Amino acid sequence: MSTPAPPASFLHHLSGFVLYLFVVSFLEPSQVELYEKHLTISNYGRVIADEFYLAIIGRSLLATVIVLIISLFLAYPAAVVIARFEPKWRFRVLAILLFPLMVSNVVRAYGWISILGRRGVANTIMLDLGIIDAPLSLLYSFSAVVVGLLTILLPYMIISIANALAAISRSYTEAAQSLGAGPWRTFWHVTLPLSSPGVASGCMIVFFLSLSAYVTISLLGGPRFKMLVSLVFDTVVTFQWPRAAALSFVLLLLALFGGAVILAITRPGRVRGRRA
Amino acid sequence: MKVMRLMLYAAFGLCLVLVLAPIVVIIGISFSPVDGFVFPPAGLSLRWYRSFLESERLWGSFLFSFRTALLVAFVSLVLGTLAALALARRSGVTAAAMQALFVAPMVFPAIILGLAVLLFVRVLGAPLWGGLIVAHVLIGTPYCFRMVSGSLQAFDSSLEEAGQSLGAGPFRTFYYVIVPLIWPGMLAGALFAFIVSFGENNAALFLTAPGYSTMPIELLGYLQFPGNQLIVAAASTVQVGLIVVFILVMERLVGLARIVHGDRNG
Repeated sequence: MSTPAPPASFLHHLSGFVLYLFVVSFLEPSQVELYEKHLTISNYGRVIADEFYLAIIGRSLLATVIVLIISLFLAYPAAVVIARFEPKWRFRVLAILLFPLMVSNVVRAYGWISILGRRGVANTIMLDLGIIDAPLSLLYSFSAVVVGLLTILLPYMIISIANALAAISRSYTEAAQSLGAGPWRTFWHVTLPLSSPGVASGCMIVFFLSLSAYVTISLLGGPRFKMLVSLVFDTVVTFQWPRAAALSFVLLLLALFGGAVILAITRPGRVRGRRA
Repeated sequence: MKVMRLMLYAAFGLCLVLVLAPIVVIIGISFSPVDGFVFPPAGLSLRWYRSFLESERLWGSFLFSFRTALLVAFVSLVLGTLAALALARRSGVTAAAMQALFVAPMVFPAIILGLAVLLFVRVLGAPLWGGLIVAHVLIGTPYCFRMVSGSLQAFDSSLEEAGQSLGAGPFRTFYYVIVPLIWPGMLAGALFAFIVSFGENNAALFLTAPGYSTMPIELLGYLQFPGNQLIVAAASTVQVGLIVVFILVMERLVGLARIVHGDRNG
């Protein structure tokens, strides 16, 4: 292609903005300006020294890991089913799973509010059928947040793994079976390792997005339920810019750390010459 | 093995229910004739759609989102096409690294992107709406990039060389040879960017203000206060309908296979 590389399309890249945010996270807060032009590490020091912050960071990690594990164990078998469909049907099912990803997170969280709320679908039907006597409070809890995050992120995991599974040539599993491996051994030693790029990318997307899904967390957890990303939000709306920047980088650091752990466990590098 | 198969299908079914239930329920209750959910349903009515159209706040934000998404789709298409032309047919470590960098915004936490752009807007004294456009373009461009890259890889580059050997310069080659071949990918990418901008609600949290607010942010405002929420169901169903129409158009343009492979982050 003779077209010269147009650097203009890269100038607007997000790395510039993020670099600037990184600098701000090391500046002192100010009452009148956005920040004072003095370097400090106190924005980070405060986060690490504060037990309140640490407890919330721990809770965010816990929720994220739970969501990750449940979504992996639900998505893998679903992806196995989808990968066995004829291509035409596989793409149709994947498109049905992709479509909710395009619907605003607000809308999908609202769906769970109208299902789980006090006057919601679940309570109304259970009351009507006489299963319960008084409405259960299902919303505004840790488990409501986990269910919300799980269902919002599940499609990423399924699509990612199903695409990886569908790319595995049948000759590999046939070879294993002709050498005498049963279905479990074939799965454990052939299919699972070959699907690791899809598992890795699915897990990383779910981990990143579950840590940062502010809208879902605030709508299903209620105003008093805090996670790390809610702290970022709260500091921004109270104009504590340097601290908001520092909290953002704590979140990004956790995401990178989680990504590294996921790569170390799934080892997608084992699979060469194919794209996940 | 029969039990195994059953369990696989059970997981598949459970996934479909978990993913689709919230959307199905919203569509169902949006046609409720009464204020709230009753079982069994009391009938069908369009009254919440009427309230949605008559609500200056919600209908206004719908129009604002629509205009914003149109502009975002256009700018993303230009930038994504340029980047795809530059990178699509290169191989090697640098091209791979640049591609990875270019699609990074698809998985980057959008709320942090929103904060970073907001700080920039404050420092420069730029209008907030400009920041919203910039943030959404950042998120939307990778979709156009992927769609156009896919189209570029699919056509025979000898056609382009033929154009050039007949004396066409790079711009004429682009206009008369490349665009006629890749326009379905370009349009599908632009539609993707439109949808993503239209539904985006994390970067937009910090980049909206009264009167310059997108529909997801207005809906969030409605939901944070108790009271009448079925108008939200009607507005949500309109969004869902729009997305279904867009996906059907994209399917016509490039086929479902490219759509489900091209997406990483809705």
